[in-house]
Amino acid sequence: MRYWILSALAVGLVGSGCHPGTEPPPLLRVVSEHSAGITTLALIAAPGIRINARVKPALELPDGAVLRFDSPHQTPDSAYFTRPPTSSLSGEWRRAEGTLRASVCEADELVCRSVVLQL
Amino acid sequence: MLRASLPLFAALGAVGAGMVALRSVDFSRTWDPPPAPTLARPAPDWRNASWLNTDHTLTLRELRGRVVLLNFWVFTCYNCTNTVPSLVDFDRQYRDRGLTLIGIHTPEFPPYAGEHDRANVQRALEQYRIRYPNAQDNDRRTWDLYGIRFWPSFVLIDKRGNIRYEGAGEFHLNDRNYRLWQHRIEELLAE
Repeated sequence: MRYWILSALAVGLVGSGCHPGTEPPPLLRVVSEHSAGITTLALIAAPGIRINARVKPALELPDGAVLRFDSPHQTPDSAYFTRPPTSSLSGEWRRAEGTLRASVCEADELVCRSVVLQL
Repeated sequence: MLRASLPLFAALGAVGAGMVALRSVDFSRTWDPPPAPTLARPAPDWRNASWLNTDHTLTLRELRGRVVLLNFWVFTCYNCTNTVPSLVDFDRQYRDRGLTLIGIHTPEFPPYAGEHDRANVQRALEQYRIRYPNAQDNDRRTWDLYGIRFWPSFVLIDKRGNIRYEGAGEFHLNDRNYRLWQHRIEELLAE
């Protein structure tokens, strides 16, 4: 019994720290919505992640076009988005493809980092 | 029974203490520059072609005898521009005493974002009243040469051309990290 308790605590400790076998949750994801022939893409940040509004996130499409994400909802200093930035495409896209770029910060981090995702 | 359970209680206590220790040290939030390396290594020579706030291309060789603080930044980075007042203050305080501050402006996005444009960098220098030299690192060669990963980052080079301190993260006038970098600058100036 006591060994079982110790083992359970040990698993809890390992699970709460960094572990090479554990995939970190994605910092960003893209959701799409179709309406009246327009596809709207929204960039959703993981909890605690802020998206830099000074350099708008971009989706580089396979044909070379670049979609920029934007939102009027920003922090008072225009540094970060306070609501998911969006971008629109004409037509119905089942899924967006291309290279997504964004600059992100964790809420209490003091550095910026780049996120590049292949969609 | 009690005696038999003592090892269990001791083990649980040790695990509990370990959990408390883990919770009190949040490694992911610690952006203090790492301690000085025991062996300083030579700073690699940058080869940026486009410079602002200077009338010629600066080289590491010509800066021998001066302490050099490199600041890797980009004007679209809020953490970077928040740190600029501290760097401007360092430049004001220490330039005449032997410090050369150099901004290495490294874009985060491809050219379509405007970070590569010299005119935009010039505008940012004026906006933030930056008087120290800046190099455009549009191909990220110097960024890669120094193994930088975050904006803003800092590399402090001594008078002999060796990297002595490195670090990353925003700081503000007279806060703890400002004073830490100030202390390091003064230490190298005094050598």
